[in-house]
Amino acid sequence: MEQLLAIWVERLSLEQPDGSTLRDTLALFDALDALCPFTEVVRLGLYVLPLRGPSRFLGGDDAVLRAVRQVVLDVAGAPPKLGVAEGLFCAELAAHCELVVPLGGSDAFRRAQPLDVLGRKDLTTTCQRLGLYTLGAFADLEPARVAERFNQHALMLHRVARGELAELEGQRDVRLARRLARLRGGDGRLEEQSGFFGQRGAADDRAEAAAHRVRRRLGPQAIVVASLRGGRSPEDRAALVPWGSPLANVRDTAPWPGQLAAPSPATTLAHPVPLQLRDGANRAVTLSARGALSGEPAHVLFSSPLCREVVWYAGPWPLVERWWSRRRRRAHLQLVLATGEALLAVAESSRWWLVGIYD
Amino acid sequence: MFAFSPSRPSPSPELLARLRPVSLAKSRTLPLGEPWRALVPGGGLRRGSTVAVEAPVGWGGLSLALSLVAEASAQGHWTAVVGVDDPGVVAIAELGVDLRRVLFVPRPRGAWAEAAADLLDGVDLVLVHPPSRTGHRAARRLMDRVRERGTVLIALSEPRAAWPLPVDLSFRVTRAEWVASTRLEARYLTVLVGGRGEAARGRERVVVVPNRRGRAEAT
Repeated sequence: MEQLLAIWVERLSLEQPDGSTLRDTLALFDALDALCPFTEVVRLGLYVLPLRGPSRFLGGDDAVLRAVRQVVLDVAGAPPKLGVAEGLFCAELAAHCELVVPLGGSDAFRRAQPLDVLGRKDLTTTCQRLGLYTLGAFADLEPARVAERFNQHALMLHRVARGELAELEGQRDVRLARRLARLRGGDGRLEEQSGFFGQRGAADDRAEAAAHRVRRRLGPQAIVVASLRGGRSPEDRAALVPWGSPLANVRDTAPWPGQLAAPSPATTLAHPVPLQLRDGANRAVTLSARGALSGEPAHVLFSSPLCREVVWYAGPWPLVERWWSRRRRRAHLQLVLATGEALLAVAESSRWWLVGIYD
Repeated sequence: MFAFSPSRPSPSPELLARLRPVSLAKSRTLPLGEPWRALVPGGGLRRGSTVAVEAPVGWGGLSLALSLVAEASAQGHWTAVVGVDDPGVVAIAELGVDLRRVLFVPRPRGAWAEAAADLLDGVDLVLVHPPSRTGHRAARRLMDRVRERGTVLIALSEPRAAWPLPVDLSFRVTRAEWVASTRLEARYLTVLVGGRGEAARGRERVVVVPNRRGRAEAT
């Protein structure tokens, strides 16, 4: 999971009746946005940005922390609390403790937190009576045991505690992006971000209400929206983000040289499935450093018993990205099977993966 | 007929000119794009109707179902896609669907019918791919809800787990064939279009989904 820098500005967390809070929130957003274009306002007082990009640009995590602290002091006139961890839930906790959790350490950090960070009193007291004091102890309960005692909402908290969900329901203020856009008065980038619901009509309101219902029913990550971004392969060009996150609608349809041509696979696997390619003599087909195949693919093997005959293939089309790194050397291959299915496979780190199905 | 018979006073010509049906036929259907406009009776998807798309795995059922949605989506209608685990976003955009008005519920697990029912209240088209065989009761409940809300439900399934109830319009893929040169170019689908009313005659058509620009077209 990605390391996030959470920025907590106490002064902006409580809305003043004169509207100054929103104006200051917007001013600080603009200032932080100049530092990192992926900055999000999660809710009043809480900003978050991915650490890796700015860290490379400014020369290290400490440099980013220093720069952000200075920006907040200059614009908001108050020192922020900063924290770094993986996932929004952990990042906010880290900010409240003013900690930088090293990469890979977020699991342990989350498990050591007291139960009341989940914000549900009855759950905290019940668990404490059972001798469970930390998120880790709560996470170790079987989901079925939790379901017996509590409702659906607690099951979701349990998934947060286990690290299966990266954020709490209600941690984000989904309406904030729109309010800020309205304040800005029509143009600007934030407007476009919330443009998902820009120029609203009754139909958009109804869709939003329905999406809220599904989210309440299935959890904050259940409903997602899609957009296109730059990239060469279909799996790189797709951006799927949980509905309600302010960055949901960054559209990038600028031409991108070397894109895999249409048609694209109607199913693009979020988690590629390993597969093996065999030639006519049942030898493994591999990709050479120069991007050539060692033989003609005749069979595809998925998990051992599943073997399919290949009747046609095209490629490999190498993707030359970060050519200095051997591990990034990739090539795509289109396959048509005897069953009539067509697949998109990619070779990476000398293995083949199924990334798309022309379903 | 009776309203305008000579025994009754007929409305004044000015009034007649201003009379309109309660709802226009056009607002009761959602538009279909090429090639479906010419192949479906009425040239559109009637609101309140259920459409079944049936295809063996990997034979273009998903692309076909999405191509049915494309024109309505491009014209500003909202769509929800429930139970399609790993939507190919690029392909969906290529088919002409406007991604700004699509809500995805990729892995609803056991709650797909509830999620679909929730969304039926808020969007104009719901494309649902049940993860397992659909029971009679769940299907009946959803179809009733669709009729009541005036939405269109598109149910995508495989022949061995087909939608259990008769539907208003059905598309069954009976043959899928790729045309390829140095890359995959186009897929010719033989589709049996059937259903109720005018569609009941059932005709086999060959369409191209997707073509070399990723869109659906007639042959």
